[in-house]
Amino acid sequence: MRALTRWIGVALLVALPAAAQSTCPTRPSWPTDDWPVQLADPVAKADEIKALEDFAFTLQEPDSARKGYRTDGLIIIKGGNIVYERYGRGFTETNRHLSWSVAKSFSSALVGVAVKQGALKLDDSICNYLRGYEGQAVCGITVKQVISFASGLAWQEEYEDKGYQVSSVIAMFFGVGHRDQLKHILTHARAAAPGEAWLYSTGDAELAATVAKYALERKLGKKRQAWPLLFEKIGMKRVVLEEDALGSSLGGSHLYATPRDFAKFGWLFMNDGCWDGERILPEGWVTDSTTPSEYFVKYAPETEKESSGYAWWLNRAIPERNMPSPWPDAPEDSYAAQGHWGQRIIVIPSEDVVIVRTGDDREGSIPVNELIKYSLPVAR
Amino acid sequence: MKTLRFLALALALALSAAGCVSEGPPRTFANSDLELAVGNAARMGCSCMFVMERDEAYCRAWVKASPDVAKVTFFPASKRVEASAFITWAATAHWVDDQIGCVLE
Repeated sequence: MRALTRWIGVALLVALPAAAQSTCPTRPSWPTDDWPVQLADPVAKADEIKALEDFAFTLQEPDSARKGYRTDGLIIIKGGNIVYERYGRGFTETNRHLSWSVAKSFSSALVGVAVKQGALKLDDSICNYLRGYEGQAVCGITVKQVISFASGLAWQEEYEDKGYQVSSVIAMFFGVGHRDQLKHILTHARAAAPGEAWLYSTGDAELAATVAKYALERKLGKKRQAWPLLFEKIGMKRVVLEEDALGSSLGGSHLYATPRDFAKFGWLFMNDGCWDGERILPEGWVTDSTTPSEYFVKYAPETEKESSGYAWWLNRAIPERNMPSPWPDAPEDSYAAQGHWGQRIIVIPSEDVVIVRTGDDREGSIPVNELIKYSLPVAR
Repeated sequence: MKTLRFLALALALALSAAGCVSEGPPRTFANSDLELAVGNAARMGCSCMFVMERDEAYCRAWVKASPDVAKVTFFPASKRVEASAFITWAATAHWVDDQIGCVLE
């Protein structure tokens, strides 16, 4: 009997870690060093490639006119291989590109990394990780709320097409708020109690990135943990994540990477937050990131056509909001990181496809629906 | 009537203490267009040249904004970008390293 008990104990010890590993998807190879290239047949796919390029590379007037979809990079990954890749306007595969708000999806992932490392919990107050704000009203805001755009701060997310002086974002990047961005964000008035509003906010995303940064520093006793714990793990070799002069992360907007590196981030999400057998993001994190948040469902204004989880945009219908899927030509499981001027990382799990597009669309950003519509036939 | 007035006042004070804002005109930030123009040109110009690694001609076009008043000077050797407008407004951004990129001073 004792031998049997011992045998069961040993079997459990062996089986439990194996079960934990088995939650990570397996792949024949991982693009940590670089992506394998297996381009779509240019003859067999000539019509599909032409349709995609006619749509995405529409620069016809002089570049200075800033018209059309001015694509700087477009990559399609299918099954772990690059099947399409083209650059424009002088960019090459080695140039980093500004992500704008694609960075917000990175910031929420960095919070996920911090959770995985035991450095913070989603229900923690943001003040646990930000010096100088203890006891203030903003301490009612939790980490989960800032990665869900639910801080309740009266943020004014306006860009260059509105009056510059009413933009919280422009003031933060270039004006009164630029030297101490954390203070700029946290001195906004409250529009609602934390968790009782949904308001798209670069301020919330910067709070998330900065909280994750300081939580990881405190837990691990080292600075700049985003690189070893996320970027370098997945082979993003040349990521720049800018900061203000005091060290707050500009994680709502100012992340730069090459299109191939952006695709690796999409591939991490495609693979449930795992990379080459190692879990980078907590179990369930990708599902939570790509499920409409309770805050969005309850509080987002009716003008919002795309739902969000943890700063990812989803092709989900939400019947209780009478909200159809926003990208009718795309599979319903599609989701995307999206940034100003048409920056996109699109993940389509049912097709095993990741699409990355960088660009400089100053007159209206390239639509996700059509980008998927024209990309999938090239990938299939 | 006095009670109603008192209740209304108490409610207003409570909302004010909670830091909530009611719907109203948007908050405005004390920035002039010129200040924003030089800040934009310095920050975005620095990252364009030293992070995106594009040339000066491209970066001049990249940072162009309305009003197009910022005079931009790139210093590749010291990895700095200065922008100015009408003598009174100026901004400088400098490159830090390969992880943090550029900082607007």
